[in-house]
Amino acid sequence: MIITTTTMVEGRPVREYLGVINAQSIIGANIFKDFLGGLRDVFGGRSKTYERVIEQAKDDALRELAEKAQAMGANAIIGVDLDFETIGGSGSMLMVIATGTAVKL
Amino acid sequence: MKTWFGSYSAAFQAEPVEATVLAVDDHITIGYQREDGTTQTVRWNLKDITAVFDQSQQATKITSAGEKDCRLFINGKEATDFILQMQAEQQKPWHKKDKTKEWSRNLLIFFAVAGILIATYFLLVPWLSEKLASNVSIKTEEGFGNAVFDALELSQQRDREATILLNDFFKEMKIPTDYDVRITVVSGNVVNAFALPGGNIIIYSALLKELKTFPELAALLSHEFIHINNRHSTRSIFRQLGSRIFLSLLFGKFGNVTAILADQADKFKSLKYSRRLEKEADIGGLSLLKERKIDHEGFVGLFQHLKASVPGSSMPEFFESHPDIDRRIEYIREASKNSRVEDNTELRTIFEKIKK
Repeated sequence: MIITTTTMVEGRPVREYLGVINAQSIIGANIFKDFLGGLRDVFGGRSKTYERVIEQAKDDALRELAEKAQAMGANAIIGVDLDFETIGGSGSMLMVIATGTAVKL
Repeated sequence: MKTWFGSYSAAFQAEPVEATVLAVDDHITIGYQREDGTTQTVRWNLKDITAVFDQSQQATKITSAGEKDCRLFINGKEATDFILQMQAEQQKPWHKKDKTKEWSRNLLIFFAVAGILIATYFLLVPWLSEKLASNVSIKTEEGFGNAVFDALELSQQRDREATILLNDFFKEMKIPTDYDVRITVVSGNVVNAFALPGGNIIIYSALLKELKTFPELAALLSHEFIHINNRHSTRSIFRQLGSRIFLSLLFGKFGNVTAILADQADKFKSLKYSRRLEKEADIGGLSLLKERKIDHEGFVGLFQHLKASVPGSSMPEFFESHPDIDRRIEYIREASKNSRVEDNTELRTIFEKIKK
């Protein structure tokens, strides 16, 4: 499975467009991560705790996107776009939306 | 997640077809097109599959225990290594898994940092606040106390005659102090009295009316005097300020619910500190009475008047700024065992004038 942000794959023309697919992952950092992230906010520096949460949310969204594409019979997803948003009362949860076009190369 | 292209044989001796392979957490999924053109996906659990590198084909051969006739080939050795690594991770006991290790590390850091912050909040911040409060000059305290006194606009309600007599009464108690203690009686229905930083003591006429003996008045004044002399108001202000700054720095970033919880917890801590200061004022005031051989029952009478003024108050001590009145009576009686009592004509005479 090729997952790419480009609209074409070099040397492999698209044989069939199977449709636009999307997947989303909403994730909340737990209280411990919030606590450690809050300390970074006070004292400064790079928060690996939150970085890992974002990484996990992105991986989950892409995995779901790949599973959807696979179920449609696609062997590639082109034009993948990732959107990151915060949701919840105080923006304490992170949402990642992955969108792409499932194709057969 | 990892993805590959492979060739999949759905049955023994079946022609292999092109397939897409996704490896996630505890399984792999294989997507392929059947002869009739429909799309099919197969899921193999990681614990059931065997991945070996086939030297002759230079490809990874994957089979599943559940579907023995099916085979999957993926070019190269990368898939073998990845699947073996995933299986090894899955077979580790829970406490050795990478995720558990990360959790343990986070928990350890959390408890260590939380421990340091709790120690800072309960020990360092109060110590530092009290240290700063002790450096405030009497003049500054007086300035602050006078500003509060003016802001309360108590001068207009002042009972001049009672004020003069009460100041005479306090002078007659002969308590040595660096503070210029000024007592003001104000008319009002509240059975209460309070002290401001720097030397102002405010007594409501309703409380004065309730007092029956001069030891009760002496107890009231000595209690309020200890608040001033021991800088209780200044210490409280500095402690609350210190706590608020610390909590807002820490919890201001944590969202509303956590901030509200921290705020309420801080209020309970302030109430506990306030009860400690009240007890300190009671015991300190009792010492002043004992030194002057004034009857300690003055405190008991005073507390009973206060109790009678708020009938039906059944709030647990935990929520109160003052200790429970029955408990106050108890520790005053306990601390004043074997104390000598003598009549004080001067104080009694002034008190009688006040009561007229």
